[in-house]
Amino acid sequence: MYKYVIKRLIYMIPVLLGVSFLVFAILSLTPGDPGTIILGITADPEDIAALNAEFGYDKPFLIRYFDYIGNVIFHFDLGTSYQSRQPVIDDIMARFPNTLLLAVLSMSAASIIGITLGIISAVRQYTVLDQTLVVVALVFASIPGFWMGSMLMLLFSMKLGILPSYGADTLKHFILPTITVCMTSAAGLLRLTRSAMLETVRQEYIRTAKAKGASKKRIIWKHALRNAMLPVVTTLGTSFGASLGGAIIAETVFAMPGMGTLITTAIRQKDIPVVMGATLFLAVLFSLVILIVDILYAWIDPRIKAKYENGGRSRE
Amino acid sequence: MKRMTAFFLAAALVVSMAGCGGSGSKGEVQTGAAGEAGAQSGKDSITIATDVDIDTLHPSDFSTTIEHTILTQLYDPLMYMNPDGAHEPEPRIAESYTVSDDGKDYTFKLRSDVTFHDGSAVTADDVKFSLELYMNSEYQGSQVAGLESVEVPDASTVICHLDNPYSPFLLGVCQVPIASKAYYEKSESDFSSQPVGSGPYKYTGREKGSKITLEAYDGYYRGEAAIKNVTYEVIPDQSTTAIALKTGEVDFAMAESSTMAQIQGDEALTVEEVGTSGFSYISMNLEKEPFNDVRVRQAINHAVNRENIAAVCYDNEAEINSNICSKERFGYSDDQFQYTYDPEKAKELLAEAGVTTPLNLGTILVAEKYSNLATVIQSDLAAVGLEVTIEVKEFNAYIDDLTSGNYDITALEMTLDGDTQQLEMAFCSDYIGTANNARYSDPDMDDLFAQAKAETDTDKREAIFDQIFTKAQDEAIYAVICNPMTLYVHHTDLDCQEIPFEGIYSIYNFSWK
Repeated sequence: MYKYVIKRLIYMIPVLLGVSFLVFAILSLTPGDPGTIILGITADPEDIAALNAEFGYDKPFLIRYFDYIGNVIFHFDLGTSYQSRQPVIDDIMARFPNTLLLAVLSMSAASIIGITLGIISAVRQYTVLDQTLVVVALVFASIPGFWMGSMLMLLFSMKLGILPSYGADTLKHFILPTITVCMTSAAGLLRLTRSAMLETVRQEYIRTAKAKGASKKRIIWKHALRNAMLPVVTTLGTSFGASLGGAIIAETVFAMPGMGTLITTAIRQKDIPVVMGATLFLAVLFSLVILIVDILYAWIDPRIKAKYENGGRSRE
Repeated sequence: MKRMTAFFLAAALVVSMAGCGGSGSKGEVQTGAAGEAGAQSGKDSITIATDVDIDTLHPSDFSTTIEHTILTQLYDPLMYMNPDGAHEPEPRIAESYTVSDDGKDYTFKLRSDVTFHDGSAVTADDVKFSLELYMNSEYQGSQVAGLESVEVPDASTVICHLDNPYSPFLLGVCQVPIASKAYYEKSESDFSSQPVGSGPYKYTGREKGSKITLEAYDGYYRGEAAIKNVTYEVIPDQSTTAIALKTGEVDFAMAESSTMAQIQGDEALTVEEVGTSGFSYISMNLEKEPFNDVRVRQAINHAVNRENIAAVCYDNEAEINSNICSKERFGYSDDQFQYTYDPEKAKELLAEAGVTTPLNLGTILVAEKYSNLATVIQSDLAAVGLEVTIEVKEFNAYIDDLTSGNYDITALEMTLDGDTQQLEMAFCSDYIGTANNARYSDPDMDDLFAQAKAETDTDKREAIFDQIFTKAQDEAIYAVICNPMTLYVHHTDLDCQEIPFEGIYSIYNFSWK
């Protein structure tokens, strides 16, 4: 098992190098240069050239890439922002806690709501409750985040006046963004859990469990749920990763400084060091989350654990 | 052993989630109380919303409007000059100025009682340092164009030597914030991130991506400001800003015209419409046919319905003006020709030019944010028999094509603020490849701008600008549409006095009623 984890961690290196090269290449090969973007087209071309030279942007693309990646690997230095001229890591650390907290809160809320209601829905298949839940889930899955956010703000901030409309100062500020982000994922998880559960309860081992007289509770919690959880855990992992960088809408609507808005702003300004730093940071985290999900598989499903262990041993 | 690892991981996840939930409920109680206290403590603080964060507070190496605005609160200039260029300068750090007869030396006499926020005195050396900072800046160097050297004959006198007489110099030099040389020498990075200024407000802190706080400086030489605490909050979304204004969380904000419907019905809020020199316009590539024919350009100028464009694209929050020089600006005159909506006249002009309609003008190339402008213009042109197809490009790709002349016709907004002289960028042949998008080249025009630059007599200079804009209108070099207004929304109880042309306000003038 440990060997499997170490192997996976080593595999992350080529993945991160690939990600960094792709992002760097895309940013460098699109039109526009940081000097012109900062100073505007009314600026003196000499000033623009001088600024680009100061950033090292006058060098060829490959040289810039190797300079950059060399600094990251050998000095753990993510570089300096073209716009603020301050270390990129400062920009990231100012925003990452908000993003992480929002992701943890919304994914926890989504999994508690989604999985619980999904199980209830599956157990009570074809009842009024089940059908109501499925329809409500479909509605929530279809509502765009920006609209949902604005409506929540109109209701709770303006009409009722009980929650702040913007900012990230206290946990109170996180309530509306969390609801906005978690609703869509909760709806998805509900539908997924329901279908996975329905599929599992049709398996023969469930019939066997029933035949040997196990209680309904035991069948659902012990036999069916554990097997039904595999696709759900996969989805949880990827959507947690996505929500690290993807809560852009909630961040924008609720004026919450986070990684999503940091990256989108930096792309528009062609602030390559910031885009690179933030992307690498998120790529590392995303890889770690996926690794944790894979380890959870082993915990949930002994068959997979056996595979991991064989994989580990064969390397010895 | 392995199973334990898995359990541990799962347990860690559960604990971390539970931990968040627990502290969550505690946090709510605390903030509820803090929030109420904040609302009652009342009327000597102000919260201002900004849609973008600042990147720097370096007095010369900044590039955005919000950075400029905050720097204006932190630093005082030598003199304050209203950006319309027609007002007399008011004394600030300098109490008076004189210009030598040849127009090449500007002498400023400094006040002796001005201090930086750390208590040290503002000296002539600091002024020299600040001006030199600008001279060497790639960002703001154009503000002190023509400045050759700065001389400090005594502690309260600064002389600026120009290489040639250059009348826009005074307005430019009045934009330079006076910064502390000693503080710069102590730490260059603090100098740009934790400024120690000479203005009415001192910097007290910042949370990246979220807020900037300022506090009235009690040693300010013109007297301490009425508003004691200022908080800038970064709110990227316009409708969130509108809601925060209505709930009272925000007191003052710049707003887009599209949110006016949300705001105008609210009696607790007041909207200030501030004129700007920015202009939205159609640029035609004069190097291409048929735009090299003046009659075609005049026809296009008559074909566009400016009132309709202002209504559709700017919710009527714009001043209709076909002249590149806005009406508040030095050098503008009502005698300069104004193009009005007249499709029949446009058709006549086209017939005169020997154009057989319908004529395909090629593509109207625009950046995404100007695509609605292009749509309205497309239908106006079609009404007189000129056909264009719209091509939308990503902003940076668009700018590449625009500056290299790789387009037929386009619509966009531009700001050439500062002295009216700055409009030379739109007309002079030196600026082909940068801001002269029409690629207009005429030695007479270059010469007129050169004369305006050297002329120190105000009346004579005004006459030269009159010639310039009369010529620009007669030749229909661009088809200017309007000057969009900057809109500020604030609580009716907040007295903002008059916000100056271009919209760079001073919180020092604000007070609660």
